[in-house]
This record gives sequence, structure tokens and C-alpha cells, in this order.
Amino acid sequence: MAEAGVTQLPGADGGRVGAVAGFVRTWEFGLLVFMALMYLAGVWINPKFFGDSSALFSILRDASRFGVIAVGMTFVIVNKDLDLSVGSTMGLSAAMFALAFDRGFYDFDAWQAVLVAIVFGTGIGLINGLLVTILRVPAFIATLTMLFIGRGLILGLTQGRNVAFDADKVNGGLFFAMGQTNALGFNNQILILAFVATLGGVILARTRWGYETYATGGNLQAARYAGINTHVVRIRAFLFSSWAATLAGLMLAAQDTGATSQAGVGAELIVIASVIVGGASILGGRGRVIGSVLGAILLVLIDRVLREGFPITRLVKIGEREIEILSMARLPPGAVPAFLGIILVAAVLIEPWILRRKLIHRLIARFRGRPMPLVEVDSVAIEAMQTTGTALSATEFHARGIKKLFTYRESAAVAFVIVLWLIGFFLRPDFWGNLDNSFNLLLAFTEIGIMAVGMAFVIGNGDIDLSVGAVLALAGSTAAFLMKKADMAPLLAALLAFSVGTMAGVVNGFLSTKAKLPAFVATLGMFYMARGFGAWFSGGRQLSQFPPQFNLIGRKFYEVLDYWGVPPAPDTVFYAVSRAVSTQTLILLVLAVIAGIVLAKTAAGYMVMATGGNRRAAEYAGINTDRVRFLSLVFVAMCASLAGLINIAWFRSFGPQAGQFRELDVIASVIIGGGSIFGGFGSVLGALAGAAVITLLRALLSLQVITKTGSFVMPQHWVNVAIGLVLIIAVLTDIWFRQERIHKRLSFRGRAALTASGGAS
Amino acid sequence: MTNAADIKPAVEMRGINKAFGAIQALRDVNLRLMPGEILGLVGDNSAGKSTLMKILSGAYQRDSGQILIDGEEVHYKSPHESRDRGIEMIYQDFALCGNLDVAANMFLGRWPRKGLFIDRRRMEEDAESVLGKLKVNVNSVRQRVESLSGGRQQSVAIARAISFDPKVIILDEPTANLSVMATQQLLHTMAELKSHGVAQVIISHRLQDIFEVGDRVMVLKRGTGVGERLVKDSSEDEVLRIIVQGDGPDEALSA
Repeated sequence: MAEAGVTQLPGADGGRVGAVAGFVRTWEFGLLVFMALMYLAGVWINPKFFGDSSALFSILRDASRFGVIAVGMTFVIVNKDLDLSVGSTMGLSAAMFALAFDRGFYDFDAWQAVLVAIVFGTGIGLINGLLVTILRVPAFIATLTMLFIGRGLILGLTQGRNVAFDADKVNGGLFFAMGQTNALGFNNQILILAFVATLGGVILARTRWGYETYATGGNLQAARYAGINTHVVRIRAFLFSSWAATLAGLMLAAQDTGATSQAGVGAELIVIASVIVGGASILGGRGRVIGSVLGAILLVLIDRVLREGFPITRLVKIGEREIEILSMARLPPGAVPAFLGIILVAAVLIEPWILRRKLIHRLIARFRGRPMPLVEVDSVAIEAMQTTGTALSATEFHARGIKKLFTYRESAAVAFVIVLWLIGFFLRPDFWGNLDNSFNLLLAFTEIGIMAVGMAFVIGNGDIDLSVGAVLALAGSTAAFLMKKADMAPLLAALLAFSVGTMAGVVNGFLSTKAKLPAFVATLGMFYMARGFGAWFSGGRQLSQFPPQFNLIGRKFYEVLDYWGVPPAPDTVFYAVSRAVSTQTLILLVLAVIAGIVLAKTAAGYMVMATGGNRRAAEYAGINTDRVRFLSLVFVAMCASLAGLINIAWFRSFGPQAGQFRELDVIASVIIGGGSIFGGFGSVLGALAGAAVITLLRALLSLQVITKTGSFVMPQHWVNVAIGLVLIIAVLTDIWFRQERIHKRLSFRGRAALTASGGAS
Repeated sequence: MTNAADIKPAVEMRGINKAFGAIQALRDVNLRLMPGEILGLVGDNSAGKSTLMKILSGAYQRDSGQILIDGEEVHYKSPHESRDRGIEMIYQDFALCGNLDVAANMFLGRWPRKGLFIDRRRMEEDAESVLGKLKVNVNSVRQRVESLSGGRQQSVAIARAISFDPKVIILDEPTANLSVMATQQLLHTMAELKSHGVAQVIISHRLQDIFEVGDRVMVLKRGTGVGERLVKDSSEDEVLRIIVQGDGPDEALSA
């Protein structure tokens, strides 16, 4: 390690590489020390559990599955990509193995069942890789969709059942030895991790493939110019991470001699956090396998400490006597991700804010009274990361034929709405057209619509908010908690819940602008945090029976008027309308009209589109793009909070499932309605039309179709799979039309130079 | 015309120094620009041409030295402060929002308003009149910028700059991305601007462009000004020699 006090020239490569390498070494050493301290803390807090040496092995055993995935994920993250689908791939692998192997299903041999799982894993890796490279879908959106599709597949294929293998089929199988404790007293999965980590570490650090990975992540364009096929490099990394997740799923199936439909839920969070904690940079080009593995062990340790809880003594009064009761303070189910999300965001911030600024070196230097080491000025790279997507729209395109059609991209969504409605009418003429169904559709539409209005601003900016569904749940659970547990007045509770949800947006905005994280990373962290805290407030349970005044925002407008003592006179038009229309529909209407005018007609809206179109140009023009993006992220969180309040009022209860998959619906709505995932396009009207498309699709897919032989309803999981597919198709359509233009531009020689100026796309 | 002592220079930069870490990008550079003059700024890669111009436009801060605009010393911290002093820079990639139409790009960030709303009619009329003054033909100011050719896009960028009524326009490698015809159009536009008294600095690798419209050439080499020539008294070969070798003994013109 270079002397902390020695002033290094920023351009002097030799010195810098030495310092970085030296720092990485201390980084991993630091991880070990931290882990030891964590473990000691665990022993101190809960000696019964952690004091036992088998606890160490049990943590290592569980960590080995996450460690294996982390090895694969390291390749992806060093490439400057992200794979959010590993958790569902792991679950799918376990489920596929279970279905193929179990007597109740296909009754294959173990090796055949393993093959089935590998085929699925390979397929997911290839699809991820192709979507991200050749089809140019941003990695987070492609793999997030894959996560939802994978989850839906698992539930659809297993029908939510748990599979447990027959004991006699398991016995003596070589496959199942994988998950068992060996003669040396520790689980074989630890050996597998050691093997995979060694293999991965050697490939990444010592082989051509590894060097190609670092080059691709460090500077994609330079790597491409140097003749590296970056598509192959990135697809390879996605395959590695999928295979690693498949292996982890098989390890789990071997250990549990069965599979549940919940296997691997949230694993992506632990794995990504592990890799980042292990010293990799979310900006690509940095990271080592050994660090990721240590990170995984640390994260599993933290996870375990959080889940095990710690013993506390409570004083309980029984009659006159006070009795000390020993109990465990535990987090309610679902709350742990909140902390893991915080760790993820904190770890992502370490690189740009502590390592790049050499905070530790500077501290040491100050302590010793030596001159301060020079610091690289603001991390430009982190900005560049965000514009890798935007570069596509920043480069100029050419289209004349198709352009006409897509000038009014909203109209495509409107056409979809009409077609989908007609299909519904064709399938169920008896039911589809009636008023009840129409109003039910409208209510389902409201929730997506309210959030889509906010999302139109965020996507227009070129950002994304992955946390809207979670913020919906956070606001809902806060309101439910305050009314049920704190007996707060409905209005105050609603206001507080709204503020809490808005705060989530403030955090998102702060992280994306001031801390300069890419919005998808910041909001991914919030995705886990908000849902975790939501589960914490509600204790992971259903809360219901709110004061009737509160539920009014989910009722017909007539009931609101009636409550205020101004019911309209019967037999008037207004009476009929207020009887038919819900309060939430009116809220959406007002919100949409105001937001629509702001986005389309005012300077604020133009600023949003200018920021999304070309952030640098907007800044040169004196637009405060940070403020525009910050306010948009806060606005979408406000919309989500509003939707959360309406949600629990409508259902008259808060369920932990509230808002799940909603981020998918909302993003898909905006994209279908003419928004671009790279920013600069979109309108409120389009977003609403897109929300209508999604609502109708969901309704259609869960429609009971009456056939000659009986009736058929598609299970909910398949609906989610279908919506995921729709999102991918929408994004692809958007990008493909752009690519169409790119081809035209390339064919025009006079503009060839333009490619050079925006060549990063 | 550059020697006329009674006319105040539009821009004067004196003893500009700028370092990036240990690298001295600019060392004691002087530059003088008269109203209506076209100055070609040439030099090898990393000679400091763009750095000097970014200091003038406020994108970078100078370490030491003076900048005088109309004889008055200025300090500004961002590009749009220099805009208030009548200095416009046209970036190599034009810095336009491809998703917005021509009119919205020309008034980027200062869209005319009527009450709360954008006054589209006024914006379009004003955009058309500026484009007309520049003799640029875009089919419609409602066309999206990304659907325009590279040359047209540059015209929009120039029209945008002109709409601020600037005294000085800096063009960073304006011909690098253009076809031959678009380049001719640009040089024509520059001559047009010159006749309106707008001073221009053109950073370019293409000497023939500078010799076609320029009045004066200034050569930078490793962050120092090494020579200056009047276009009418010099040749491309001579300037090329200065770029490669420096100016040798007679540095008379570089004040």
C-alpha cells in the first residue's frame, strides 16, 4: 500500500494502480475484521445461538449459496451491468428440479432433473444477455422484468405448492450429498462455494476473459475499438450469473430435499449488496471475486442477526407484582429487507464518496500532519453511467415514414384500449359491457393511473422509479398503523402517511441528484426499504377496520357528500353522477388534468423534457436539472402515497401484498403511452392511456372465459408473467423504432460523423 | 483592421494560466479579439485550444489572468453568466435536445410565457424570424431536432446563439461533423455574421476553412501561444510549420 501521506500525482499511473491495489487488499481485510466484530456482537447479543460453533457453520452453509451467485454477479457488475433476476432464477432452478425429480410430477433421475434446471438457467441468462446487448434494453429493466416473469413462472408451474421428495428416492443420491454435512463436520455446500469462488476468481483475475470483463466495464467504447466483442463479454457474464443462480437453486433443493415456491425471494438484494460491499463498483470496471464472497458471508451474517433478533427483558405487571420476562425482540416478517436495502444504498455510496475522495487517506494524513493527498475532482463517471442509456436518445435519429405514425404515440395506446375492450366484449358479451364491470375496471385503473401520472414526469426526465409499489405499501401501512395502533384521527393519519411516502421520494431524489446515484439504483434500494418498513409498521399482518371517515376516499362520491351533510337532491343528474362516480376517480381526474397541463404547456414541463432529452444541453441553457429531477421523483412518490391511501380505503384494509408488481404496471403504462425508457418523451394523456391498456389486459387475462366444455380462468401468476412480457415488448418497440432511425442515419454518409459524437450508444 | 488602435477589443484575455492537477494546460496565454473579426484558433491536439475557449465561455475557471470584455474585467462561474456578457459557444455536438422541436430548442430554458403557460405562437414566430435572418431553411420550426440533418442541427445551434444577440460566438470544431455542402453553408453563415459585426472564434483542425473566412490565425502549442498571423499575409504552409515547430525567432505579432 502506498504511503498515505505521500502526495500522488493524479496522472501518475504507476502510483495510482499501486494505491488502488493496496487499498483493495485493506478493503477485504477490513471486511474480515468487520465480520469478526459482527459475529462477536452476535455472540454477545444472543449467546445461545451464536455461541455455538455449529452456528458458524450454519451461517457459512447459508452464505455459500449467496456466495456462489455473488461470484457470477461479480462478472456482471464489473461489466457495468446488473442482474436483478438471480433470485427468481434460483427459485426457478429449485422448482424445475423439484418438478422434474419428484414422483408426483415427472419422476426423472437426479441428473436428468439437473439438466432441466440447467436448460432453464441457460435460457434466462441468454435472454438477459441478448436483451441487454443486441436489443439494447437497459440491464435493470430487462432483468427486473425477468425477475417478475421468473416469479410468475415458479408460482404458475408449481401452483404455489411445496414439493418434498420421498425419502427413499433421496437416500444415497450423489446429488443430495451436495447439501449434506460431510465427515469433517461441515456442509458440502461450503466446498462448492470454495470451488466456484476459486474458479471464478482465477477466470476474472488471471485469464483473457477476466481482462475483457474489466475492459468492457471500464470503458465499453474503448474495449470495442480494441477489438473486444463486448456483446459476447456481457452475454457471457449474464450466463455466468444465471448458471451460478441455477447452481444455488440446486444446492437449496439438495439441502431441503424439496422446494418451495418462495425459494430465492429477495436473493438478488443480498447478492448485489454482497458484491458492492465486497468492493466492486456499481460503475463497473472494479471488483474481485474474493471480496464478493466475503461480502456475501457478511451480508448473510447481518441477515441472520436481524432475523434471529436479540433477547430483551421486559417488566410486566401482573396484579401487584412486577415480573421480568425474557423475550426476543424480533423484526416482523418482511422487515429485514429494509435494512438490507439501506446497506445496499450505503455500500453503493462508499465508492464515489469515500474511495474516490480518499476520505480515509485524508483523515490519516490530517492525523499525522502530512500533506493531503490530491483528490480526483467530482466523479464524472457516475454521471456518465446515467447517460449510457440517454446517449441513445442524445444521438440524432432519422425517420420519415414511421415518424408520422409515432408522432402521436399516445394514439397507439388509445387504439390498444379500444381493441382490448372489444376483445373483452367479444369474449364475455354478457358480463363485460355492464356497468358494474366498467366501474370496477375504472377503480382498478385509478391506482395505476395515479402513479402513472407521476411516473410520466420521472421517465420524461430520463430517470426511473422502481419503488412506487413499495412506497404505496409504505404509505398504506403507515396510515393503517397510525389509525389502528395509535388511534390517530383519520385526517392526521392520512397526512402523516402521505408525508412519510413523500419522504421516501425526497430520499430517492436526494440520492439521485446530490449523491449522484443512478436513479434505478437509488430507487431499487428504496424498493426494499419502503416495503420493509411498511411490513414493520403493520407487523407483517393485515390491518383493517379503519374509521368510516377514512374509507370515504375509497367510496362513491355520494357518500362523501352525504357525510358532509350536502347530499344532492334525488332525481337530479348530479345525484346520478355522484352515485356512480367514486371519489378516487375524481381525485385522479383532478390530478391528471393539472399534471397534464403542467407537463405539456408550462415551462416546468418543457424543463422535464429538455432534461430527459439532453441533460448537458439543458444545463448549458441554465436549467437546474438536479432540481427538476428531484421534484419529479418527489412528485411520483406523492402520487404513490396518494394511491396507497386510496388503496387501503378502497379495500378497507391494508395487506402486506398491497402494491406488489405495481412498479411493473406503472412503468409499462408510461412506456406504452409513448414514453421512452431513455427519457425525453411521454405525456400524461399517454400514461393514462397506457394505464388503461394495462388495466384492461389484467382484466382480460383474469377473465373467466366460457367455452363449450366449461370455463377457464388464467391464474394470477400467469397474468404477472404476461404483464412482464408486455413491458419488455413495449420497451423493445420503443428502442427498435429508434434503431430503425439509427440504421437510416448510418446509411446517410454525410452524417456519419454524428455517430462518432454520440457513438456510445 | 486589427491594428486600429482606437477600437476597443471585444474580448481580451491576458496571461491566462490553467492547470489540471500537475498538467499545465495553459501557460500565460494572451488573446485579443476585435469586433467583427474572425479568429482561427489552431494547434495540435492538447494544445489548449478548447480549454482556452471553455475558460472564455465560463465552463472552466482560470487559475490566474484577466478576461476583459469591452475593456471591463469579468469573472464568471458558469456558461450562462458569460451569455449575459454576450458570449456564446457552439459546442461540437451542438448541445441540443433531440426530442424537442426546433423552436423549443432555440429558446431552451427561456421559453416565452403567457401567464403560466408557454407562449408557443410567439416562440415559433420568433424562431422563424431568427432562422430567416440567418437564411436557414428548416421545413417547420415544429420539427423535432433529431429529425434534422447534422448541418441543419448546427444551424439551429447557431440560430439559438444568435437569438441572444451576442457580441462573440465561439465555434468548437464546427466543421468536424459536417458534409462538404454543409461546411460551405456554415462558412457562408459566418461571413454573414461578420457583416453584422459579430466577432467569432473558430477552433478547427481544417486550415482551409480558416483561410477561407478568417481574418487572423492564432497558434497554440503545449498551452502557450506560439504565433499569430494575418490570414491575408500568410499561407496554410506557414501556419502548419508554426503548429509543428513553433514560430522560431520572429514572434513579433504575438503580443
